Amino acid sequence: MMAKTLRIATDVGGTFTDLVAFSTDDQGRQTIRTAKSDTTPPNFERGVLNVMDKVGIDAAEVGFLAHGTTVVINALTERKGVKVGLITTKGFRDTLEIARGNRPDFFNLFYEKPKPFVPRYLRRELPERMTYLGVVHTALDLSDLAAIVADFKAEGVEAVAISFLHSYANSTHEEAAHAELKRLWPEVASVAAHQIAREWREYERTNTAVLSAYVQPTAERYLRRLDAGLKGRGLKQSPFIMQSNCGVDSLEAVARTPITMVESGPASGFWGAAELGKLIGKPNVLALDIGGTTAKCALIENGAVKIMTDYWIERDRKSAGYPIMVPVVDLVEIGNGGGSIAWVDDFAKLHVGPQSAGAVPGPAAYGRGGVQATTTDANLWLGRINRDYFCGGDVEADMGAVETALTGVAVRLGAGTDEAARGIIRIANNNMVNALKLVSLNRGFDPRDFTLVAFGGGGGMHAVALAQDLGIGHVVVPFGASVFSAWGMMMSDLRRDYFVTRLSGLVAGAAAGIEAAFAATECGAMAQFAAEGISEVNFQRYGKFRYQNQEHTVEVPLTMGVISDADLVAISDEFHATYEREYTYRLKAPVEMVGLHVIATAAVGKLTMTEEALGDSDATSAVKGQRPVDYALEGTHEATIYDGDKLNPGMVLFGPAVIEDPGTTIVIHPGNRVHMDGYRNLHIATAGE
Amino acid sequence: MTSHENDPITQEIIQNSLQAAADEMFAAMRKTAMSSIIYEVLDMGTGILDHRGEIACSGAGIPAFVGVLDKSVKVVVAKFDPADIRPGDVYATNDPYYGGVTHLNDIIVMMPVFAEGTLIAWTANIAHNSDVGGMAPGSLTGEATEIFQEGLRLPAIRIIREGVTIDPVFEIIKVNSRMPDVLEGDVWAAIASVRIGARRLTELALKYGVATFQRAMAGFMDFGEKVSRKAMAGLPKGTFELTEEQDDGTFYNVRITITDDEFVVDLRDNPDQSKGPVNTSRDGVMVSCQMLFKSLTDPYSPANEGSFRPIRLLTREGSVFHAKEPAPIGFYYEIELRVYDIMWRCLAPHLPAKLASGHFASVCGTFIGGIHPDTGRQYTIIEPQIGGWGARAGADGNSAMFCGFHGETYNCPAEVNEARNGVFVDQMVLNTGPGGEGEFTGGRGIIMDYRVRAATGFLTAGYTRSKFPAWAMEGGNEGSPNLVEFIPKTGAPVRYSFVSGLQTHEGDVIRVMTGNGGGYGHPKDRDPARIEMDIKNGILTPERAREVYGWAG
Repeated sequence: MMAKTLRIATDVGGTFTDLVAFSTDDQGRQTIRTAKSDTTPPNFERGVLNVMDKVGIDAAEVGFLAHGTTVVINALTERKGVKVGLITTKGFRDTLEIARGNRPDFFNLFYEKPKPFVPRYLRRELPERMTYLGVVHTALDLSDLAAIVADFKAEGVEAVAISFLHSYANSTHEEAAHAELKRLWPEVASVAAHQIAREWREYERTNTAVLSAYVQPTAERYLRRLDAGLKGRGLKQSPFIMQSNCGVDSLEAVARTPITMVESGPASGFWGAAELGKLIGKPNVLALDIGGTTAKCALIENGAVKIMTDYWIERDRKSAGYPIMVPVVDLVEIGNGGGSIAWVDDFAKLHVGPQSAGAVPGPAAYGRGGVQATTTDANLWLGRINRDYFCGGDVEADMGAVETALTGVAVRLGAGTDEAARGIIRIANNNMVNALKLVSLNRGFDPRDFTLVAFGGGGGMHAVALAQDLGIGHVVVPFGASVFSAWGMMMSDLRRDYFVTRLSGLVAGAAAGIEAAFAATECGAMAQFAAEGISEVNFQRYGKFRYQNQEHTVEVPLTMGVISDADLVAISDEFHATYEREYTYRLKAPVEMVGLHVIATAAVGKLTMTEEALGDSDATSAVKGQRPVDYALEGTHEATIYDGDKLNPGMVLFGPAVIEDPGTTIVIHPGNRVHMDGYRNLHIATAGE
Repeated sequence: MTSHENDPITQEIIQNSLQAAADEMFAAMRKTAMSSIIYEVLDMGTGILDHRGEIACSGAGIPAFVGVLDKSVKVVVAKFDPADIRPGDVYATNDPYYGGVTHLNDIIVMMPVFAEGTLIAWTANIAHNSDVGGMAPGSLTGEATEIFQEGLRLPAIRIIREGVTIDPVFEIIKVNSRMPDVLEGDVWAAIASVRIGARRLTELALKYGVATFQRAMAGFMDFGEKVSRKAMAGLPKGTFELTEEQDDGTFYNVRITITDDEFVVDLRDNPDQSKGPVNTSRDGVMVSCQMLFKSLTDPYSPANEGSFRPIRLLTREGSVFHAKEPAPIGFYYEIELRVYDIMWRCLAPHLPAKLASGHFASVCGTFIGGIHPDTGRQYTIIEPQIGGWGARAGADGNSAMFCGFHGETYNCPAEVNEARNGVFVDQMVLNTGPGGEGEFTGGRGIIMDYRVRAATGFLTAGYTRSKFPAWAMEGGNEGSPNLVEFIPKTGAPVRYSFVSGLQTHEGDVIRVMTGNGGGYGHPKDRDPARIEMDIKNGILTPERAREVYGWAG
């Protein structure tokens, strides 16, 4: 007998609030329920309660609730935060506006530099100065602070960010100024940069503090109401909040620095892929999430997702964007999803995306007035998506509109409609292949050594074609691929990433200092966890190394426990090897450490999966028909169509085939062999290498 | 997949992959370089060229480097017997008289790419190296009178033979530098970059077939030409001329003739080459023309050989814009930039939809060196500066951006500067001084103070637009000048535009002051709401608002 458990994940998006509930009965059988309801701004907690009501979930029975939200990223991109005042070091009030001076759109002489989130009159200075070694050079003088607070109040400032030079090395001035600010103005939302980031680069760190302050009142109000609303329904333990680093964190911790939620959406899917890889014994994974407007991918090496603090919003070839120095999963995102619009330029060249038809009007097939052809329309036209089972049968595909839209593309290309549709698929696939190369080949990894795990509504549609292009032999489309992110949330531990800048040579005698830096970081983390009543904490250490004089670093795991001088040679060897794999050469130059990265995790009741026994391999019972499917490069084949809901563990089938379930369509190419494992994941052996 | 060899979609997929490879080369160089001028300032470029050395596409970075690599590869192709160019070889040049285009600090590393035994392409990389020898630290000095004083010359040579390093060459390169380890690290970063690009191109060619690959590359350049020619229809036709006085009292002349299918830049009527390092190669001036032409035609399509086919450049050998060996060329970039700026100024009145008022328009190269007081190691700061850009109809100019020759270039954070170079950065603020007023104002330059901590050291700088600031349009005010001010711990401050090897001591302050951009439209026409916001933001005093703008508040 096992204990019955109910775990739920809720995800608040711009349009819909999703829910996935995993219940395990006393026999260990797992059932999954999903539901969707409208997002309800500004009282987002209403949507969460509504969607729980929709599937009849009693909050009092929920053992673990993970929550993801786009409220932070939306507040940033829609500029719906509050008025922020910034307090910084004398001589540096303009850092936020000067930024880095770069101009990615370099042939455009009318480039417009991104505007700072705090205007100059709200950027104020205090006399103080640390050195880069963390030594006080000029004492902090707080005598102007009262006047600054009075000005901020008069201007209607609602949140204050404090960011001083070199606070990553010594945060005492920031702490003192923050304490005094709270004394003078207890009700204002406030944050000091060192609470979020302990790495150098003053513009990036300052901007991070400013953006966190900008969303803080909104996010905090949101989290408090969510907590109160759920507790009011009987939820016993506060929700855990999905973070950008692939972990969840406590609601209390997130409310202090909500900016850490900024990329929580993609993070949970990639974490899910990492967990799935471990579960099925394939820890090296290329994870691909194809949604309506974008495709995102990340590389998972030996079960570990790479986390970095080099994250920017609104950054592309036309804009410098804004940096946010928080731990974010290392991903590449491109404007290529199911709703991406195909267009032909003045030179008869075909492009797909990054513009998207969105939910309204959506692809032409929705029949809601969309006149531009999208990837989804091309997939329909080529028989890859079932025109009679569009969106799980919820929408009648308007094939007349699809034909008109594709013909528009074809005429501009000087080609036939079929050819145009195939072109759209091939260009979209190529864009995604290039994105997958960026996270693999570009970083010294051969994609053929990886399993491609594809999820999101469009993952299964394109995965095999991409894998075959890259020579990947094994593709996995997970069970419930369209709600896989929610599954990932449920697999998350409580996780905090600490990045700290700390310069040190790898020379005899240096180990003590390096060990002390790690120990201090871990000790601080332990104290934070302990204050929240958590005592079982697991730490993983990484060092960031480079050749002396270089700037960029290579992260190397440090698994030896307490670091002594005897370990330095091994650390250095590991660095040389990692470096050479990525960059083709190694140097005899001295190696130095630039910073440390500590991952602290604590188990908070994540899901344990149970494996079903494999049954008969015959999948005939799931066959629902046949239809011609155009595979673009491999021509048109009569494909067998399977009902995904009727496939059971152990079943095997062969391409050409298409597997359809209400959430997704999986295109199986000629020569592919597919089998369903005991967790109901589909494994596809490609025709390639 | 044979049936798809010639279809346009395959061509396009290959072309997209070429761009991806050039970007990947760029990322590799950036992550491995040892000089901040490379990894932070991104004073570098990468490119993919066809077997003849024509540029097909380039990685992000500095637009001024896009047009350099083809000229270098062509010199190698011309110099070596085709049978002697083999897989695994790597070549290098840095000499403007041997295809190097710029100055000796910029080493161009090139690798031939083979597939099925055929030379199908070249990958190439250019980057500014911190010290290549010569008479002054950092290899740049205003005192040079011959190129021999500016560093080691690499006249388009082989440095790796079929994958095997030619060690004596590397030893010669290292021994000539004051920063041998950094130079070695940066050259290897460049080699990594061209190797990574070459590997990708070989994979592409093998996947799609050599003939298909080559057709895609040629087609990419033809596409570049089509884009340019189409856009030329929107350019004003005729002959446009401008004469402009320079800081040193000489006059530069430009005459641009635009017809339906040609963009002719005539620079023949210009002064003889200078005795000092303020000359440029003809190739360098061509880069100026290509950059402005690209901005005027189509800023977004790939910049390649085809894009530039309509350009015809006329120069006079022995002039400042077509220097003859052995003229020194260290500060070539300021001269290229002057050509770029006078072309811009010459055409701006005729193209208000594409060209704003003048910007601070100087690289403002600043070189500060000494011994790091904490580590005891030599440090050399080599930095371009950020400044104000010009206003245009409807918009104030951008503040604190790199000049038009730089692009995806980043300034050095004060925190990194202090740790790496052992200086104090006392302040980095917007230049709130006068200049650039108008209905729309020029963007602000900056004021940045370096306080020297090293016992002794040096300052070298070469700024232009120090006497004649950024130009204005439609009744706006000129911007403000670019200057470097030396404030010794004891004694009176001195302002410079060009200074070489000035001795510095602990406690001295080097103040960089870059100019505001030019204004657009008459100041009296400025919206009072904008004036009041400027006052509130502390970048304009009420007194000056009344005086310059006629503000009634």
